[in-house]
Amino acid sequence: MITAYKCKSCGQIMYPYHYRCINCGGREFESFVPSTKAKLLTYTVIEQLPWGFDERGRVLGVVEFSNKVRAMGLIDIDADTEEINIGMKLTATWEPVRDTYGEKIYGLVFRPA
Amino acid sequence: MKPVVMAGAGMIPFERRDDDTLIDMLAEAGLRAMDDAGLGDQPVDAVYVGNMASGLFNHQVSVASALVDKLSLYPAAAERIENGPASGGSAIKHGYQAIASGMADVVLVVGGEKMREVIGPRATDVVACMAQPEAEYIYGVSLPALAGMFARLYMKAYGITPEHLAQVAIKNHANGLLNPYAHIRARVTLEGILTHPDSKVGNPIVADPLRLYDCCPVSDGAAAVLLTTPEIAKKLSAKPAITVAGIGQATDTHALHERADPTDLKAVTIAAQKAFEMAGCKPADVDVAELHDAFTILEIAESEHAGFFKKGEGAKALAAGETQIGGKLPINPSGGLKARGHPVGATGVAQAVELVWQLRGEAGERQVKNAQTGFSLNFGGFGNNVVALVLRREK
Repeated sequence: MITAYKCKSCGQIMYPYHYRCINCGGREFESFVPSTKAKLLTYTVIEQLPWGFDERGRVLGVVEFSNKVRAMGLIDIDADTEEINIGMKLTATWEPVRDTYGEKIYGLVFRPA
Repeated sequence: MKPVVMAGAGMIPFERRDDDTLIDMLAEAGLRAMDDAGLGDQPVDAVYVGNMASGLFNHQVSVASALVDKLSLYPAAAERIENGPASGGSAIKHGYQAIASGMADVVLVVGGEKMREVIGPRATDVVACMAQPEAEYIYGVSLPALAGMFARLYMKAYGITPEHLAQVAIKNHANGLLNPYAHIRARVTLEGILTHPDSKVGNPIVADPLRLYDCCPVSDGAAAVLLTTPEIAKKLSAKPAITVAGIGQATDTHALHERADPTDLKAVTIAAQKAFEMAGCKPADVDVAELHDAFTILEIAESEHAGFFKKGEGAKALAAGETQIGGKLPINPSGGLKARGHPVGATGVAQAVELVWQLRGEAGERQVKNAQTGFSLNFGGFGNNVVALVLRREK
């Protein structure tokens, strides 16, 4: 799972890691793991993927976890047959999201809660 | 700082150029700007090349040194400036600084990219490399995908419809038909890209809600400007001096999700404000604008964030024809990235070339009448590094 960061000076929540807080420039953070509950903020269905993906109709989205961390991830929904809506509740897991020369790269995967 | 003028401007047609190397394209555009300025034997002190990814696209680096060699401009100083799709705008900024500081008297700025050397999905991947590696790139995000996620939110927030997006494409392709340097020279209609049942075949989804005709083409091309002092420019040629009146640049978070309001293109707002402040003018003073319409939604969003229209009013102005040539504020008379093409490193310089031609009254069929102040916006990353430029014809 990803690690998120909370600034010890101002409380700003960040992901990914920054050496200085994006709000106050602070350098001390408390690290934590986002919850598994998230809601969808925006998404897209990609029909023309970059080199390295042998597929179409891949759904990516930006979510906000219940503990306020925001992240992008793969939304495991078939956009042709299943409903997808901004605001829908999702459950997060940590799974392979791409194969690079046979190596599995792990990332955030979301499914309808 | 000393005043700086654009004494020369030139570009080569943007297209798929299988027979030219990147360096050939840079050299040809550079020569056109030098000749346009009437440079003759006057030495060039420095060369800045705006280029994003020659290492990945063409397996060649140190391209500014290669260009100096091809044009025999030794011992001119030479650097490649890389700022993603805003590399061209950044290269102009560095050229400006060199002259304004007094370190150089004559600077050649060339922007160029040869993207069609690789196949489509490879080009998509090279461009996607600018996304945040661990939080965006690994998922297979492309720039159209980032624009798609942005468009979904922006359209909802401000009542923008697919018809509005299509109108950007129709307008810019109509302008591109008048521009001999444009990559895509075809008339585009609402029926053809949106309303006819068969339009979905010719205009398929790239990254929902964005379709093919919401995205710029992948192009090869190069553009160049020659910067110098007003005194030297006057000696070189009788062409009207175009002053670099203002340059502004601003950055924002790398990952789209880290922006408090992902529909707020803060770097666009700040870069434009800085450029206007430096130029001592305001958006209402602009007669012609070249915006970074890599995606149709961006022309609308940038026209609002740069201060030309209030948020939510940009699409209305577009629909009312205010941004056409002959309208209140013509946007992208060149055809923009949509029709002229977007060889990434070339774009910021090509925007300046179009403005120079417009301000001199040399833009032919697409001339904006009596344009005196021009504005361009070069949008790097997905809005995380933006360069704005104000050019002015002196009375």
